[in-house]
Amino acid sequence: MSRKVVITGMGCVSGLGIGVAPTWQRSIAGESAIRPLDRPPIAGPAAWVDPDALAQAAARLDLKRMGKLDPLSLFALVAAAEAVDMAGLAGHPALATRTAILLGCGSPGNATLDAAFERLYARGLGKLHPQTIPSSMMSAPASHLAMLLGVHGPTMALSSACASSANALGEALHMIRAGRVDVAVAGGSEACIAYGSWVAWQALGVVAPDTCRPFSRDRKGLALGEGAALLVLESEEHALARGAPILGELAGYGASSDAADMTAPDQAGVEGAIRAAFDDAALAPETPALISTHGTGTKLNDATEAAAIRAVHGAGLHASTVIATKSAHGHLIGGSGALEFLIGMKALAEGIAPPVLNHLGPDPDSDLPLALEAGPIAHDILVSNSFAFGGLNAVLIGRKRT
Amino acid sequence: MAVTADDVLEIIAAEAKLDRAALKPDATLTDLAISSLDVVSVVFELEDRFGLDIEPETIEPTFTIAEFVDHVVSLSNT
Repeated sequence: MSRKVVITGMGCVSGLGIGVAPTWQRSIAGESAIRPLDRPPIAGPAAWVDPDALAQAAARLDLKRMGKLDPLSLFALVAAAEAVDMAGLAGHPALATRTAILLGCGSPGNATLDAAFERLYARGLGKLHPQTIPSSMMSAPASHLAMLLGVHGPTMALSSACASSANALGEALHMIRAGRVDVAVAGGSEACIAYGSWVAWQALGVVAPDTCRPFSRDRKGLALGEGAALLVLESEEHALARGAPILGELAGYGASSDAADMTAPDQAGVEGAIRAAFDDAALAPETPALISTHGTGTKLNDATEAAAIRAVHGAGLHASTVIATKSAHGHLIGGSGALEFLIGMKALAEGIAPPVLNHLGPDPDSDLPLALEAGPIAHDILVSNSFAFGGLNAVLIGRKRT
Repeated sequence: MAVTADDVLEIIAAEAKLDRAALKPDATLTDLAISSLDVVSVVFELEDRFGLDIEPETIEPTFTIAEFVDHVVSLSNT
């Protein structure tokens, strides 16, 4: 008999704001965080985090002994502190011995590496900051979370590009089911709006010059975002025993690899991950659901994802509701899957679908029952899709707590 | 550029994430939980801003704040 895994805390940082409450309010108000960024030499539309608000939130945490913190770590620390507070776990003995940390990141601390390489190549200086490696390594934020929370259990970063944090949540689910830990602080973080990373994304030809328009005609690509989302997962038994607030259930996880192409999505691989998630949750794929798409707003992703969704959900699709929240918070790369799952679980609990923004009209190749206005929903099931470059796919299924 | 005691204290406080007020002259680095990583970061900032050349190994954990400051200021005056 496998153990049920419930969600007892959530925290997030993104262009929409710091914290779950403002993120949710702005999501259902139809506000987008994608706005002009003027941070020379970076200029263009992006969903960036307000640095003053971030500094204010970070100032409330005890960050002593952590050294120099890249935004990658700051985002994760602020989001994790909110999640653990919400779960009522701060200072709980389970954190020390029976908790895992799994953090998904698509790239390391870009700002730290940029600053180091600028010294070498632009200024011809031979010395780098002695903390360049410990501040920028991809596992640094996982270590920082362990220090903040006093976690001595398994702690690691997990990387699968745009699916990283969905994989982190899914693997954490299975760690708890297997009894390896009772609690997991899992999710993801990304700080990709640094000059080098920014220019590299532009070079790939997938960034929209205007904004992110998922499943819309005339969509021109993705908008970069940044931030983090962390959830506290817990065995139901453990959560009930300590009287924790139960916000929902993480009921299923499916993962697959296309093994086909480094940038183009593959419909069979995408379908495989969705079907595996339904199997894991012991649900039929025709079950009507709130479907939180990967929905990047690129020509190829949206068409492939729409075809996969139509094929898997079949007759259940007309009774489902499809959302695409990257139109509001941009693409957080490694942080996207967790933020979208978090917003999706909030939508199930509140019974409101946040609207797909910036939609100019239907595109026959990506026709889906989109929520174009915020509206009431009565779904019990969330399907949250993440499909990464390199053909790595992860799908999470959440269940409303009734 | 000559470095002042004030400059050194400001950099120690920033790199070790301590209040300036906590940097009592007779407190040792160990007392203040200033780690070796904090020390190499302080040294890096001093070298970067003031063009000094400091061997981090010359700064012992048993140094007091006053000794640390004097050590750096004397290097800057040579």
